[in-house]
Amino acid sequence: MADKRKSLIKLKPKKFKDGEVVKVSFMVMHPMDTGMRKDKKTKKIIPAKYINSVKFNYNGKDITTMNVWESLSVNPVFTTYMKINGKGKLTVTYTDNTGEVHEKSKKIKPKG
Amino acid sequence: MQRRDFFKKVGAVAAVGAVMPVMSFADDAKLVGPNAMSYKTAVDAITGGKTPKASKKIKLKLPEIAENGAVVPVTVEVDSPMTDADYVKAIHILAGKNSNARCVDVNLTPANGKAMFATRIKLGGTQEVSALVELSNGDFLIASQSVKVTIGGCG
Repeated sequence: MADKRKSLIKLKPKKFKDGEVVKVSFMVMHPMDTGMRKDKKTKKIIPAKYINSVKFNYNGKDITTMNVWESLSVNPVFTTYMKINGKGKLTVTYTDNTGEVHEKSKKIKPKG
Repeated sequence: MQRRDFFKKVGAVAAVGAVMPVMSFADDAKLVGPNAMSYKTAVDAITGGKTPKASKKIKLKLPEIAENGAVVPVTVEVDSPMTDADYVKAIHILAGKNSNARCVDVNLTPANGKAMFATRIKLGGTQEVSALVELSNGDFLIASQSVKVTIGGCG
């Protein structure tokens, strides 16, 4: 099930040179349930399901790590900056409180 | 239920509600949820007892009036050179009156190049949102802004 979740890594600008600082956004379709909300039809509490931690890894080095709690919105977006340092791969991994792990990677090819 | 009983119960709830605001600063008893944490406990847990300084280096971008509390965009930008000697270690986003005040902790490294973080958070009601920033030399800076929420996003 873990792999069925849709996620996306976006770099801005799309074309960049080596050594440039670019904006990186990671988006994922995730319910982020707090465990306090009730289902309107069944009147039962929806169990908590939220992202625990997010990791940005670039060429085997952790650039940004995050501890996350349930106060983030549904389908969260995480945006930071990153310094381009040669060809490589950016991998974003998240885990949630039920043990779900998801990974998404993007190739990084600086031009010039 | 009889009318008399109804008024008794309503009265009891109102009395508890009147006492609550005084108590809320003292402990976490009012808060519900699996990870309930008050604003003060959250700040103490992050800083380890240090008092953060208010700073203009932090740019906190938030809407003044949020129509929908379920999706409130937040952007935190810190004025920092981001070199190995002087960089922003962590950015914490705190929502003062959410049942869990801690929203997200972001640990940055010099490889980020620029100290900035943006996301979207849920707010239960009108409250103050703070960005707590930890620098590499161990100092803590803070910036806050109040947000008016028309429709709450939790519950």
